[in-house]
Amino acid sequence: MTRPLARLVAVIATVTLAITAAGCSSGTSGDSATGSSLSVGFVAEPANLDFTSTDGAAIPQALLVNVYEGLVKLDQDGKIVPLLAESWEVSPDRKTYTFHLRDNVTFTNGKTFTADDVVFSINRVKTDWKVSLKSAMDVVANVEKKDDTTAVVTLTKPSNSWLYRMTTRIGAMFSRDGVADLANTPVGTGPYKLESWRRGDAITFSANDSYWGTKPKLQKVVLKYFKDATALNNALLTGGIDVISAVQAPESIQQFSDTSKYEVIEGTTTGEVVLSFNNSKAPLNDPRVRRAIRHAIDHKALLDTAWAGRGQLIGTMVPPTDPWYEDLTGLYPYDPAKARDLLAQAGQTRLNLKLRIPNLPYAVASAQVVKSQLDAVGITVDIEPLEFPARWLDVVFKQADYDMSIINHVEPRDVTAVFGNPDYYLRYDSPRVQELFAKADAGTEEEQVTAMKEAARIISEDAAGDFLFLFPNLIVAKKGIAGLPKNLVSESFDLSVLSPSEA
Amino acid sequence: MTALENTSPAARGRRRWRRLNASMLVGGALVALVVLAALVSFVWTPHDAVHVDAAHRLAPALSDGYLLGTDKFGRDVASQLLVGARTTLFVGIVAVGVAALVGTPLGVLAGMAGGWLSEIVMRANDLLFAFPALLLAIMLGAVFGASTLTAMIAIGVATIPAFARVARGQTLGVMHTEYVLAARAAGRSRLAIALRHVLPNIASILIVQASVSFAIAILAEAALSFLGFGTPPPTPSWGRMLQESQELLFSTPRLAFLPGLAIALAVLGFNLFGDGLRDWLDPKLREHR
Repeated sequence: MTRPLARLVAVIATVTLAITAAGCSSGTSGDSATGSSLSVGFVAEPANLDFTSTDGAAIPQALLVNVYEGLVKLDQDGKIVPLLAESWEVSPDRKTYTFHLRDNVTFTNGKTFTADDVVFSINRVKTDWKVSLKSAMDVVANVEKKDDTTAVVTLTKPSNSWLYRMTTRIGAMFSRDGVADLANTPVGTGPYKLESWRRGDAITFSANDSYWGTKPKLQKVVLKYFKDATALNNALLTGGIDVISAVQAPESIQQFSDTSKYEVIEGTTTGEVVLSFNNSKAPLNDPRVRRAIRHAIDHKALLDTAWAGRGQLIGTMVPPTDPWYEDLTGLYPYDPAKARDLLAQAGQTRLNLKLRIPNLPYAVASAQVVKSQLDAVGITVDIEPLEFPARWLDVVFKQADYDMSIINHVEPRDVTAVFGNPDYYLRYDSPRVQELFAKADAGTEEEQVTAMKEAARIISEDAAGDFLFLFPNLIVAKKGIAGLPKNLVSESFDLSVLSPSEA
Repeated sequence: MTALENTSPAARGRRRWRRLNASMLVGGALVALVVLAALVSFVWTPHDAVHVDAAHRLAPALSDGYLLGTDKFGRDVASQLLVGARTTLFVGIVAVGVAALVGTPLGVLAGMAGGWLSEIVMRANDLLFAFPALLLAIMLGAVFGASTLTAMIAIGVATIPAFARVARGQTLGVMHTEYVLAARAAGRSRLAIALRHVLPNIASILIVQASVSFAIAILAEAALSFLGFGTPPPTPSWGRMLQESQELLFSTPRLAFLPGLAIALAVLGFNLFGDGLRDWLDPKLREHR
């Protein structure tokens, strides 16, 4: 019996390992909050530091606002506020923007920031950038220097979204002498400069002593990168980091329930988790079927089970931090009887739908709830998890070979891209909505808000998709760290406003 | 070989029964438990195993009629374990089926033919053997979409070399026995020799191989489901139950412990059963005790 016994031990050891493996990979220690330094944990490490040639959210998350600055930025409420431009004027035809620049700004390579750099940076987007986002600059007809601190940008047509995009990576200001090695040596005007980058582990920023604005409270910030959610959690538990920038497994937050040690910050992001419908393909080209599905889903129950109740129910494609947000959860209350009625009217009492989802945690969890709830009104759902990103992008996003999918649309202000373009994978074609989007882009601020609100409402009433929930911004930090953002409104993680705990 | 030659079949049978060993009994009982759970789940489960119920999420064991409590979706854990046994058996049967049905004929062919044909078959086998099974399964899952069947066919394909090698080794031995030489001298066809003499004589070792491979397949399915490349949701699978409970490890360890225990016991059961079976079927080992 010695061999079977040895095998018994081996099997139990294997399974125990499998259970606890996720719990064992804690982070390295050190770099904890000591007066002037702080370390923040992230899950996705940048491939390099050049967002002009490389896609991916991790690069602007680390560099934008911290190392690079634009003429304008977004504040916590989603409003466009001055940054390197002290102020700006818009011409009556809304096509010419005159930016008045700060005169005390220098790059970390010692050069002074002038209107020449603005001309250089904006033109460089059109000539040298390689990422698809650069198309946001296509609307610019001309940019010129009036004097050292005044730059004038002329657009081909009025566009509110252009100024908004200037708050993103597209609007980052580069030094004419600082773009030789963007992948490794970023040169910006921001409150921090790159000190070191240990690939696969951490990026260290140190305070920029010649910064023009309010000096950051921290001398040093370490951005530590982890492979998975559990490792990230463990790093905070063991003191390896001070902040978890985004909790990836909401149920695990209970580990940080000790309020004398930890602080949990919960707010909004710009990520709408959408149950997307293929609006051009039967049976979901019938609005009655789409409406039935929206009525059949108990969104509160879905959020509670799939994402531990973290997040917000919005019923629309617009997050609460956009000026045209409107709570539309009341449009489609949970009503299985009505769902059955609508399905009967549509003549679809025995529906069978393919739910092709990316194999990401929130999608896999939400899909199971959707299936169970649609089952109750007589719709059979087959869940097919596809490898993300490659397979999902190919099958669902490119070929639109699906009935329903679930994805977190993370890009800020993406309602126009998702529902304004009939070729987008949801294949939603509403001339009225497209007209409203065009009007919003060209109009004044008020006209923009009114038109956007109306468009968002039509999209939700049309049941072009079901808006499951707004993805939460979940941050866990050691107690006493100030300045952490409650709501994520932009693509950067602003480190300049953080201040250390007293401990 | 002496034991085989001087005992009558009836006496051998009686002795075998007496010699039923402990590992075979324990293993057999565990295997029977898994089979029973799977069979019961077809006709009865305490609750609907896939019904999401937000009001009863994370109910503790022995509450509200939930024997083992509920998971974060409010699904009954006991029902999921029962239905999960089905998945477990299904994967074992498919994977071992593929491996045995392809690997055995290849091994016998290589063993009987010898020469260059044997070399080709066995080198192809080595090639396959060198390819990691889980990687193959993940690859197929990524190309054809994750499903229990694709995952298990991949595991089955990766297990073919194990069967082919065992079958070939045993066939080589059998080919030198007097009765095969006699059959060949009598002019029986190669196919007839393979079916009448070779297969029956290598069957017992293949059964042992099957039970061991079964255990490996169960573990592979659990691993694949854990990684999201195995059984698609919501079909209950022990591996995915383990994965879904990962983030609840600190607050509700029961959710990870129960499917983990189920996997451990099933794998242990098939391994012990295989071990016991080998001892029971192997006359040499028996004489040495």
